[in-house]
Amino acid sequence: MPSDERTAAPRADGFEPTLKLHPISWVFVAVNHIKQFVFALVAAALLGSNRDAGLWWPLWIVVPLVAAAIWHQWVFRYGFSDRGLVIHEGLIFRNVRTVDYERIENVDTQRGVLHRLLGVAEVRVETSSGGKPEALIRVLSLADVDAMRERIFERRGVGLGAAAGAADAHAGAETETLLELPPAELVRYGLIDNRGMLVVAAVIGFLVQSGYFEDMEERGPPPWLGSLPWESLAALGPAGPVLLALLALAVLIGLTRVLSVIVALVTLYGFRLTRTGEDLRTRFGLLTRVSLTLRRRRIQAAHQTATLLHRLFRRVSLRVDLAGGPGHGGGQESPGQTTQRELWLAPLCPPEDAERLIRAALPQVRFDGLEWRALAPRARRRIFRLLSGMWLVASSLPALLATDGAWPLVIVLGPLPLFFMHATLYVRHTGWALHEEFFALKRGWLTRKLSVTPRNRIQSVRLSESPFDRRHGMASIEVDNAGAASVSHRLVLRYLPRDDAERLAQALYRSGVGGEPLAARARA
Amino acid sequence: MSGPSDSRIEQAAGGDGGPVEAVSAEAIVDAVERGESGEDRPVDPRTVAVWRWVALLGSLPAAAAAGVFTISMRLAGGPLGEILWMAYPLLLAALGVNAWWYPAARYRRLHYRLDPIGITITDGILWRTQSSLARSRIQHTDISQGPLQRRYGVATLKLYTAGSRFTKIELPGLAYGDTVALRDRLLEDQEGDAV
Repeated sequence: MPSDERTAAPRADGFEPTLKLHPISWVFVAVNHIKQFVFALVAAALLGSNRDAGLWWPLWIVVPLVAAAIWHQWVFRYGFSDRGLVIHEGLIFRNVRTVDYERIENVDTQRGVLHRLLGVAEVRVETSSGGKPEALIRVLSLADVDAMRERIFERRGVGLGAAAGAADAHAGAETETLLELPPAELVRYGLIDNRGMLVVAAVIGFLVQSGYFEDMEERGPPPWLGSLPWESLAALGPAGPVLLALLALAVLIGLTRVLSVIVALVTLYGFRLTRTGEDLRTRFGLLTRVSLTLRRRRIQAAHQTATLLHRLFRRVSLRVDLAGGPGHGGGQESPGQTTQRELWLAPLCPPEDAERLIRAALPQVRFDGLEWRALAPRARRRIFRLLSGMWLVASSLPALLATDGAWPLVIVLGPLPLFFMHATLYVRHTGWALHEEFFALKRGWLTRKLSVTPRNRIQSVRLSESPFDRRHGMASIEVDNAGAASVSHRLVLRYLPRDDAERLAQALYRSGVGGEPLAARARA
Repeated sequence: MSGPSDSRIEQAAGGDGGPVEAVSAEAIVDAVERGESGEDRPVDPRTVAVWRWVALLGSLPAAAAAGVFTISMRLAGGPLGEILWMAYPLLLAALGVNAWWYPAARYRRLHYRLDPIGITITDGILWRTQSSLARSRIQHTDISQGPLQRRYGVATLKLYTAGSRFTKIELPGLAYGDTVALRDRLLEDQEGDAV
């Protein structure tokens, strides 16, 4: 935890931080303050009853914000004491924060367009406590950031024997590039990823919110609709509307994909994964340039995802979970920051590169010679029955309504082969493997996910049985580590044979004692 | 727990080279002497009374509200009032079963098991769970007692991990003294990084 002390304490310590923020910092601090008020400001401007005063009267709120920002820059000081990074801030209530060098995990930067124009960066000093950064320094010049990195990592080596090696590696600064994504690859990523859909949804949401669709009736059809060649469409007969609908769908899909490509190019531009000593670092972004450090000992799990589209392009996506990573523990990020960020190892890479990259994050992982184990023999039948049963209930009403001819039968029985196929393929592509050092599980056939977590990262293991599990002699297992925050990457495996599950749970539970704690004890 | 014989899974785990064997034979003998033999133990039976009171007190407002609604509907006349009037005893019976039978059944299912590595808690009647936690993973612990628990001398042990999904693992219903003893046993001689 940060030691927040009153001003008296560091004086006793004999250390006063003297370094100042970049002279232009107040702009960024003010912009960040204003961002929090922007919705209130816009709402006030649009809805305000006091129209006579003009649209701009709420902007008076901005004045104190700017003043506060200038004052913040005026009082903010940082410095490097013997123990750690010292930050001195506070408008009225003074606050001195000391972050020990040994505990600093990352010094990450983020740079928007304005930052890059002015040659400055927003700095986040992170420790392993997770959630929000331990210190947010807004903003420093690039030279100061480099100096800060150097001081922090150089000091970290002193007095911490074990980390000396890491510090040497830093000093050596031998940086190896593991992956780079050229624009062509980003286009591919955009085509695979569906982020454009979100943009379209957001636009539609905005139009609905703003009452665009409600006004439509009054406005009548837009003039450009009349100029379309409706006659030729009518000549097509009944096929016309179908064709039109298909065309509209194609345009919509095409549009979302184009948007996805643009979003991918902007957000991931120049993606680079590098390794310096023990650290992995990713850098990406066209407008906002992000630099993230993935410290190897904080990595809890690695996930590989391959959707149908990934496989079409012969690619996979790789991401990692960090201990206390974003979204962990509900830590309040400071405002104006994206709270959830994907921790990419590789947004996109060929499947044959996946193992190499995963091993860069988790060196103990080896996929060759891994003995994959299957689900319970009756899992396929159970999944099929579950889907069919649910479908029978859901489809009985429409089937009763469609009384003519064979339709009821088609509705009720039609999807059953599909369910059978799903059950078969799901079971075939789902399984687990237990290695001496790590636990791996794969699941799904349409979207295939593979996750690996080192056994010495496992926090706890839960075996659970529903009444249905008990009837079939099955159980499910969930493994918890310090980083599995996102719902879609939980380490869960269902439909295991009860005995296997029990033994697997025991083996995983016992592996918690090995690894680091024992190694630490041996060192001591 | 199933012995380490027949386990293909242990083999998959790297034969006998796994971290399990890091625990020495003396440590295991020592553990057995201290009651960490790895056998399932029940919690204190007095906890059943606590749960019954809690369930009873919890159902009273629901029963009262449903009763008032039923009577007013019946006074208003119509078929719905009659149906509710007939169904009301069923509701009371269900609440009664919930308050009387359920706590006893849960007590029969709730077990904990302490072994040299850590603790395993088995809980649940229909949906059953078995949570295992190595003692080196415990970040901190709480012992909490509600007013009813104090009256009956039982407590809830809460074990916190650095995990993300199951950050808190609870064992309710041990006698207060046993809870403290269990906590001390879980916390003794552990060092190192719990992440």
